[in-house]
Amino acid sequence: MFARSRFPAACNALLLCAFAAFLSVAGGQGAAQGAAEPRFESHIAPILQANCVACHGEQSPQAGLDVRTREALLDGGKSGPALVPGAPVESLLLQKTASGAMPMGEASLSPGEIDLIRRWIEHGAPLAGETPSSVGSAVRGRASPREVLVTTIYVKCLLCHGRRRQEGGLDLRTRESALAGGASGPAFVPGDPEASLMIRRIAAEEMPPERYQARLSYRPVTSDELDKLRQWISEGAPWDDELPEEIDPATDPLVSDADRDFWSFRPPRRPGLPLVNARDRVRQPMDAFLLARLEAKGLSFSADAERLTLMRRAFFDVTGLPPSAEEVEAFLADREEGSYERLVDRLLESPRYGEHWGRRWLDAAGYADSEGQVDFDAVRPHAWRYRDWVIRALNADKPYDRFLVEQIAGDELFNYQEAPHPLAPEESDKLVATGFLRMGPDGTYSVSQGFVAERLTVVADQLQILTSTVMGLTVACARCHDHKYDPIPQRDYYRLSAVLRSAYDPYDWLSPNEADIGPDANWNESNSRLLPGAPAREVEEASRHNLPIETEIAEVARRLEALPGPLRKRLLDEKVPGVDIGAQADLRGILGEGLDHHAEEAGVQEELAENDPAYLRAVELLESFVEEHLSLKTKPLVRALFDMGGDPTPVHVLYRGEHRNPGPPVGPGVPSVLSTGIRPYRLQPLEWSSGRRLALAEWLVQPSHPLTARVMVNRVWQHYFGNGIVPTAGNFGRTGAAPTHPELLDWLAVEFVEQGWSLKALHRLILTSTAYRQSSQADESVRALDVENALLSRFPMRRLDADAIRDSVLKVAQRLDPEPFGPPDEIDVQPDGEVVARDRTAGQRRSIYIQQRRSKPVTMLEAFDAPQLKPNCLKRSNSTVASQALQMMNSEVLRANSRYMAGRVIDAVGDDPGDQVARVYLASLARMPSDEERADGMFTLEEMTKAWERRLEEQVPMEPKRTRARWLALATLCHAVLNSAEFLYID
Amino acid sequence: MRAAQTRSEGEDRCSTRRDFFSRIGDGLHGAALASLLGQDLLLPRTAAAATGERRVHDLRPRQPHFEPRATSVIQFFMNGGPSQIDLFDPKPALAKYEGMPPGRDLANDIEFINEAGGFMPSPYRFARRGQSGIELSEILPHLSGQVDDIAFIRSMFTTHFNHEPAIFIMQGGRQFSNRPAIGSWIVYGLGSENQNLPAYVVLDDPKGLPVNHIQNWQAGWLPPVFQGTRVRSEGSPLLNLKPDEEYPAPVLDLARSLLARMDRRHRDARMGQPELAARLMNYELAARMQLAASDALDVMQESEETREMYGLNSERTASYGKRCLMARRLVERGVRLVQIYIEGQIWDNHSDLDTSLRYACGKTDQPIAALIRDLKRTGLIDQTLLVWGGEFGRLPLAQSRDAGVAGRDHGPTGFTVWLAGAGVKGGTVHGATDEIGYKAVENRVSVHDLHATILHQIGMNHRDLVYSHDGRDERLTDEFPARVVTEILA
Repeated sequence: MFARSRFPAACNALLLCAFAAFLSVAGGQGAAQGAAEPRFESHIAPILQANCVACHGEQSPQAGLDVRTREALLDGGKSGPALVPGAPVESLLLQKTASGAMPMGEASLSPGEIDLIRRWIEHGAPLAGETPSSVGSAVRGRASPREVLVTTIYVKCLLCHGRRRQEGGLDLRTRESALAGGASGPAFVPGDPEASLMIRRIAAEEMPPERYQARLSYRPVTSDELDKLRQWISEGAPWDDELPEEIDPATDPLVSDADRDFWSFRPPRRPGLPLVNARDRVRQPMDAFLLARLEAKGLSFSADAERLTLMRRAFFDVTGLPPSAEEVEAFLADREEGSYERLVDRLLESPRYGEHWGRRWLDAAGYADSEGQVDFDAVRPHAWRYRDWVIRALNADKPYDRFLVEQIAGDELFNYQEAPHPLAPEESDKLVATGFLRMGPDGTYSVSQGFVAERLTVVADQLQILTSTVMGLTVACARCHDHKYDPIPQRDYYRLSAVLRSAYDPYDWLSPNEADIGPDANWNESNSRLLPGAPAREVEEASRHNLPIETEIAEVARRLEALPGPLRKRLLDEKVPGVDIGAQADLRGILGEGLDHHAEEAGVQEELAENDPAYLRAVELLESFVEEHLSLKTKPLVRALFDMGGDPTPVHVLYRGEHRNPGPPVGPGVPSVLSTGIRPYRLQPLEWSSGRRLALAEWLVQPSHPLTARVMVNRVWQHYFGNGIVPTAGNFGRTGAAPTHPELLDWLAVEFVEQGWSLKALHRLILTSTAYRQSSQADESVRALDVENALLSRFPMRRLDADAIRDSVLKVAQRLDPEPFGPPDEIDVQPDGEVVARDRTAGQRRSIYIQQRRSKPVTMLEAFDAPQLKPNCLKRSNSTVASQALQMMNSEVLRANSRYMAGRVIDAVGDDPGDQVARVYLASLARMPSDEERADGMFTLEEMTKAWERRLEEQVPMEPKRTRARWLALATLCHAVLNSAEFLYID
Repeated sequence: MRAAQTRSEGEDRCSTRRDFFSRIGDGLHGAALASLLGQDLLLPRTAAAATGERRVHDLRPRQPHFEPRATSVIQFFMNGGPSQIDLFDPKPALAKYEGMPPGRDLANDIEFINEAGGFMPSPYRFARRGQSGIELSEILPHLSGQVDDIAFIRSMFTTHFNHEPAIFIMQGGRQFSNRPAIGSWIVYGLGSENQNLPAYVVLDDPKGLPVNHIQNWQAGWLPPVFQGTRVRSEGSPLLNLKPDEEYPAPVLDLARSLLARMDRRHRDARMGQPELAARLMNYELAARMQLAASDALDVMQESEETREMYGLNSERTASYGKRCLMARRLVERGVRLVQIYIEGQIWDNHSDLDTSLRYACGKTDQPIAALIRDLKRTGLIDQTLLVWGGEFGRLPLAQSRDAGVAGRDHGPTGFTVWLAGAGVKGGTVHGATDEIGYKAVENRVSVHDLHATILHQIGMNHRDLVYSHDGRDERLTDEFPARVVTEILA
């Protein structure tokens, strides 16, 4: 492959012309078939006149669109051109009419009319007297400076003539620098396309260079683009000098006062507590809000749950794990007043708390250990540092405002480039935290999916994660058009994306993977998203471990490098003189000096190897050596989001979300509608950074921000009570659901901020409330009045989530390896397709530490609704389906853990069946069995033992048959208990 | 204005992959199931449910928008991008340009641009076949006997030249990975005729999953109940349908009855928790499915002659043939949609065109022709729609500048898809590519047009099949203008 690519194809201009000619002939033939081809005046104009001109005519054309002439259709309106000749599907005119979106209201065009429009566009949208082939010249080559810049120069030139590199000394970012030119002179001569170096080099297919276009995801300049470039230069090559509009959010005409007045766009205010009758049921102020609503319906809270029920509930809600038999016994032994409150304190101090609640934040952040999107689904080797940061931050109860600021703009909080490396742990942490905005799916490392369109999708996913998770807003619709229901103009979507532009620039893209893809090592370093920002301890540890191995590998590699020398020489001396004269110089270069780019050089080596058995053997030796020494520790790199420095490319509104369809430029900003009672987004450039994201973070964490606190308390609430106070956790806008208890939401939001944004304080508040402590049982009269439990007349019984189920099975089997943090544990795909976690010495770790590969979800987790993160998830679904029964009954994962569990039960209580049954109940269900249950268990155990004995009679096992039968019987009983509803549900 | 819209409100929940058992999740109110179990599970409906605010998603059969031509669909998903120029769309004119290099505009559509060679005519002979005289390549000898049953669309086009996005477009209408597959839309719209089998079955190749893996049959933001169910043609047909080694029968019975007693005690102590009743049912249903699935997929019940016809006795055709035969047995039992996938990327003939394309045809040609004949023999053809196609076609260029090993690179701008069966006008050719087979120029058919046509054949209007997600009305065809290709319909 490399060998072929080194020799540029002979470029035969004549053949090219011939090809272009026959293509147009071919097109013409196809088009010439319809007899009565539609023309604008005779066929299309009457339809438009009758249906569209009333709104899209002379009088204040709606959305800036006038449909009375073909020229006006081509010019289009706010959504871009209405007509793309030859491309019906891309033409808004057809899209809107065929979908019934236009004309507005009940009327729609007839199928015949739609078909006519389709055919007209398909045939090039001719006017009367035009033929399809003559239309081309009439509608082509109309390009604004902005279009030329954004769609051609940004996409195809800036990579090498922009911020990071100025090949040949040329910088095309401004008109001045382009005119100043590089080593070969100015890029263009205004007014004279043919004298312009740019045109000459592009026309000769020298630029953009063919060599890297596959690897760096760009393509040749098309003839249409070249025409437009020529035309633009002939018009003097004016630059797009429009500046982003200054927007005063308070008076922005794109949003109305009514929009600004929507409840969730106004700051929360602490409401007074409502009066209630059953004041003894108010343990926390929040209870009053719930109780008032209940009492208004003649209801009250249900009775407090039983002590052990509440204990088990709190264990799961805080740590995601059931209590062990010992923990149950210890709690039962604590008879002093306040034992539950002490339990809550203990649980909140447990390191398991951060793991359990970290999982929820990671869902919201779209965390995975692989890139997704592309089939290959490359592993993300450094994502786990962010996972660990989240867990540690939650365990340390890092205030939520700080938690957000570090994730959105940790790199802007200090000058990490000037800071001495290795960084202090707290500095390193700030870089790791920015991984938040690097967690979405990203396939742009794949050369065929690394184009601008795919890059923009990555940015869109990150915006979706940011806005849904932190702001409770769905802004994705505004990527293509003004939001239909919420007051988010398309402009504001692009202002938000301008906030990210200094870190995510689609025209100056950093590759998500570590592997080299660029022309040289220097390029690769400047192209990496990975920062050498790990803390000193880790850097030292890794290098202590890696250094001797790396030294050895380097030594072997050096010896190997010397090997092909003689072969190269032989080729140079004997073979090169024999080849075509034109190729000789190239070959001499390659064989003599070697290539500066090491991927290509590797290609040469590879070819040499194929021709030299001795060399091949040596290479294999090296490979096996490296294989044996692959105990290299992960490099201490951080997958961070960081300001790339300098000015990023300007951000434009993209009509219909298409990068080929740029509208006016916009600056960084936030949705205008969020302006009541808060100070606006204020950009203060920093010495070392643009400050765009820091300004966003600081804007978000203002105590009076209408959304930040509300959205977070709502999600915490949702995790305890099944539904949020706003049931649509990611949508606080008009299309979201209204809050069931608006005053409660505001009270909690204000309280949260006043408690220093402490999440643990919020948890403690909820955990010690009456609402939380009540029983999940309620009699029918109560259920009839509060059918969906929207009023919380009882605690909502619910199933454990996927992670808690898997972790609980491991814990009761005493196979849960408690080791936290570090690189994720491997997964295996079994022959039948089941994906399982790989065993470690001490069992397996919690699910949060298992490699989360987007393409290979652990089956056990998937069966119980672990989400596909595309890009993120704020509320897991909860299904009750038969495949779960199959998974729990038949998967070897469960069966093996049941045998482990039985072993530990026997270890703990010995051979007495009654004691065994009691222990199984205590360890898995956190309670003692009733007499009936104990008898049932003992009877079953005895019968199972007999059945296993009969089976073992037919075999010759190594172990004593009776002992083995009793163990297997207990294991089968454990298996049944692990399948039970009581094990899988929280009361 | 539009009477029979299919629409539902989406819940604000994250989607997960889920197989067909999900029907039980929300199908709690399913009378069919309740009677099946001899147990009244029609629990008091909640007020909200009664007023229709809370939508129940299940797989009970639903009314189509209009009288359908087909009740089942079998899709031969030929992922990889089969070469239209070498199979269905003869381009003798290419010979004139042999070896000429492509221009800069073509270069924008080429994935491996460094490897693009000159124009390359097809090495195969085409001949007129059947009554209709449609030309087909010599490497499809079996299908050649069925051209009169088939409508070929030679003017398909799509908008991405790489597999993953193009497959997403073919499956879900857009190049993003989060949208529901067409199969999910179909079962969302119509439900299923057989409640003991999956409504939407995916027969993947035991040799490996296609590109995009299980995302090919995902439900996206539709409820997970509508996701495709992967059924294996070797070993256990469903994941964990059976354990690696079953307990002795008496032990299993004891374990099941202990579990049932525990769960009943648990449920009886907790009134008004429908989930718990659903759970109990699931354990019983799981056992019954084992039987239904095993029976439906047992091709040994077929006659020796039938198995021979599908190529089950030849190594080359056995694997695909078995899946084609399973597909017939499944649609016979009322399965709504069967998708048959093919190992990895056998149509992705980047190099060594002749060898690799002959391999792909050799594997599939006989079984597919046999399935058409078999469906005709049993009359099932009148209610089954067949769809054959990949995510794009291939370029008229050689990939590689070395003609000896050349293949073809991806060609999204013009390719062929064919349909057959219920309501399709056999022996038809629709649309055309240009002189060199590069670009569809005449009667162009978009992927959305194809989707609209498939939905039309099973009785649904693509504009009226609506699901409300995040406050937005979503459709398979999205906002794209789509047109039913009536020219190929009988």
